[in-house]
Amino acid sequence: MKRRVVITACSAITPIGYGQTNIVDSLQQGRSGVKPLRDDGLLTGHIHSRVFGTVDYPIAYEFTRSHRKTMGPVAFYACQVAKDVLIASGLSQEFITSGRLGVAFGSTHGSPTVQREIYKTFFNNLEEKFSSIGAVDYLRSMVHTTAVNITRMFGITGRVIATSTACTTSSQAIGFGYEMVKYGMQDAMLCGGADEYDTTTVAVFDNLLACSVDYNQTPERTPRPFDKKRDGLVVGEGGGAVLLEEYEAAKRRGAPILAEVIGFACNNNGGDLILPNLQGITSTLHLALQDAAINPTDVDYISAHATATKMGDIIESQAIAAVYGNGPHVTGLKSYTGHTMGTCGVIELIMTLYMMAEGFLAPTLNLEEVDPRCAMLRHTPGLMEAKTTIASVQNFAFGGVNTCLLIKNGREAV
Amino acid sequence: MTRDILQEKILTILVQDFEFQQPGLDDNLRDVHGFDSIDAIELLGKIEIMLGCSLTREEKEKAMEIRTINDILDYLEKIQQGRVR
Repeated sequence: MKRRVVITACSAITPIGYGQTNIVDSLQQGRSGVKPLRDDGLLTGHIHSRVFGTVDYPIAYEFTRSHRKTMGPVAFYACQVAKDVLIASGLSQEFITSGRLGVAFGSTHGSPTVQREIYKTFFNNLEEKFSSIGAVDYLRSMVHTTAVNITRMFGITGRVIATSTACTTSSQAIGFGYEMVKYGMQDAMLCGGADEYDTTTVAVFDNLLACSVDYNQTPERTPRPFDKKRDGLVVGEGGGAVLLEEYEAAKRRGAPILAEVIGFACNNNGGDLILPNLQGITSTLHLALQDAAINPTDVDYISAHATATKMGDIIESQAIAAVYGNGPHVTGLKSYTGHTMGTCGVIELIMTLYMMAEGFLAPTLNLEEVDPRCAMLRHTPGLMEAKTTIASVQNFAFGGVNTCLLIKNGREAV
Repeated sequence: MTRDILQEKILTILVQDFEFQQPGLDDNLRDVHGFDSIDAIELLGKIEIMLGCSLTREEKEKAMEIRTINDILDYLEKIQQGRVR
């Protein structure tokens, strides 16, 4: 059984805004969501990179305590976007709880904020804090906390896939959700990812010399994907969710078809866990095209992973050039948000959906002088009108995990 | 601690940490306030901090029979008496 899979609702909380209007406005105005790193009283003083893709606006959560008690900050993002998507979908409560809707959702760590509180108990005066580790701390911090807080809040009884593969967490969730629906295991999947404000992630990448450090006084000027003066990634936060549905069912109930997922690939480099791998990435892009049964010339836009690390952008450019030449326009959307880690795949997919829907392409922010080693691509030259039919969303993670999602404009899919 | 002091402290915890609205001493905790087994474990942790001592496994298992705030107060008085002996 092979069925068509469509996206019928989406929502994202990002460093450049929450919801389509705000996010599109930031993309069109060239507004960065990168801000100075907040002092956490623990690691910040030791970190060289002082920038972060920050969600610094209030969000009106309306969760009851019975739901909040098992949620760390990461689950707040996850449940909020999941709630938005379910409301927008118009799906009946009967369907949501029928077992035919599943959840594929993840985060990089679970909740590092809650984990940090647990460790504080250990490293402070244990005798006085014997009961400080709460009964729900595990539920708030465990690696599948986003997925199961969503199922709990909305009574979802279908399959649960809790991805946790760093930067490919949410793109894997969408890809695995797509396969669930495509092959008839579920009729719909709520997919996405979230990651909360976390300085430990910054510290890790900082130690690996992968973080941006040259723009601490001018945060909005970094990251700089493909730029000659790029100096590394900027960690960020946020959440995003999409609803995948079987096409015929979505059409029957009159759901808006935002896009069709036409292809997905996921592979591993089979070796080094950190270094980008040209062969592995190139293979992913080919596999996705094969899955979609389309030619490279059919793709007219690429949302590149493009973290702005020195080596990563070059390897990705080589892979894109090898598969696509200089046909599709290419944008590194992390230039707006920073690298939102586990949620980057879904956020970049949603940004791409918005651009498809509103007929424009945003350029890579801070791309002032293209690195000659990345210059063989067709970089989106500036904010431009564009009718995108098929787009590729690419993400690559520590651990050598690569993903590629191919989506077709909803107007074309109907 | 006297029962009155225990009652005041427990009511404060239930209102502040568990967001109880107008708790009655004989309200069924689950039916009226949605207090579940996770909450019960969480409350025991707060009780340990309040009393300044750890509860034994047996004492904690005994707490699972609690249904009302008055049950909590009876339970705490027994714990205190046991500690004094």
